[in-house]
Amino acid sequence: MSEIVLETKGLTKYFSKKAALESFDLKIPQGCICGFIGRNGAGKTTAIKLLLGFLEPTAGSSSVLGCNSMSLTPDIRQRIGYVTEGHRLFRGMTISQLEKFQKPFFEEKWDDKFFAEMIEYFDLSKKQKVKHLSNGQRAQVSLALALAPHPEILVMDDPTLGLDPAIRRQFLQGIIRLIMQQGRTVLFSSHILSDVERVSNRVVVLDKGRLRANCSIDKFRESVKKARFSFKGEVPAIIEIEGLMNYRILGKELEVVLVETSNEKIKEWANTAKAENYEIIPMNLEDQFIEFTEPKRRDKQFQWEAN
Amino acid sequence: MALWIQISAGSNEPLYAQLVNQISKAIAEGKLRPGDKLPAVRKLASELVINPNTVAKAYTYLEQAKLIVTKTGSGTYIADKNERSTDIAEVNYLNERIDNIITRAINLGLKPKDISEMYKSRLEKFSDKPGKSGEENE
Repeated sequence: MSEIVLETKGLTKYFSKKAALESFDLKIPQGCICGFIGRNGAGKTTAIKLLLGFLEPTAGSSSVLGCNSMSLTPDIRQRIGYVTEGHRLFRGMTISQLEKFQKPFFEEKWDDKFFAEMIEYFDLSKKQKVKHLSNGQRAQVSLALALAPHPEILVMDDPTLGLDPAIRRQFLQGIIRLIMQQGRTVLFSSHILSDVERVSNRVVVLDKGRLRANCSIDKFRESVKKARFSFKGEVPAIIEIEGLMNYRILGKELEVVLVETSNEKIKEWANTAKAENYEIIPMNLEDQFIEFTEPKRRDKQFQWEAN
Repeated sequence: MALWIQISAGSNEPLYAQLVNQISKAIAEGKLRPGDKLPAVRKLASELVINPNTVAKAYTYLEQAKLIVTKTGSGTYIADKNERSTDIAEVNYLNERIDNIITRAINLGLKPKDISEMYKSRLEKFSDKPGKSGEENE
């Protein structure tokens, strides 16, 4: 078992009377590339800010590299790379000035050569001023700044928001390059699930401030599935299938969304319910996510953890 | 050589399965021959911009299917034909898949003769190249 490098215990944050994050428990082992997904307002940014000690929790606690988030030492911070939402950088500075500003915080960990290489790779010049950069270029600079000290942990808050597909791909290449080095851990939130699918090996799903799923991406892909049954007569009034998360009825057809239900179990139910026919419908990650975060059956909220 | 692998994120098919299917198909069509070397996991991962674990998973899967072999310290190669085995479960699975296809074909109104013609013409796409490379090995 790898060392746990990011951990939250009952982490809770209220803004006035509204819970942004509630009893959030998470353990991320070293080497994990974790896609952090959830709809707008699900609490992803809050969770990230709490983890990095930029917000104080209402209850519970969190730690990074074994150190409580509220008392992260400069030594620990040097081992963390952080890319903020919206890539906010000092507008009046040139890239070179940004580097000079950022570098001392990381001391000898800062890799001048690597930073220069990345700036060149992104087709930028260190003389360029931030205010003259496009959105995509600012994203590239902020990634270069975060990667230059070769962080052990890279936390990124929706880093590819608003970027064109080519720049997004370059960005992902940067992440892949980092994770090729042993023992790097990445936590990144995103709404672009095809990007999450490409680079991550784990997904954490947050919904309305609560953890809904935390498992390997393969497990998630395999486990959330849709099946459609057709009946000669009426659709049965009681739908009791193991792992049922959502269902829709359309005439004599029933569509169900299931979590961790084996194909044998689906077949069994089709027989018991006397379905005339049934099929299992393949889903992509985006469909799975939408089904997962929009269940109609509010009586049975799924919280799901697996390896 | 990795250029012909086309990964499409966001599809219904998991990424590792896309890799497995494309490599298996290339082997079946004779585009990859016994002894051909596959790119290293990390190299392929960075070319395709996907997580290295995904490539590793696909290779493990292909290795279990005895389509590729990993030689320690040297790399991953397409396996010799005679190293491959006929797995009963795999054959059963194939029969099931064929049944599904036949069902759909019948429902489309195709006649048994048409269906077997279809199979024959598809088979021709695969028949010559792998056959030849198989003979070379013996």
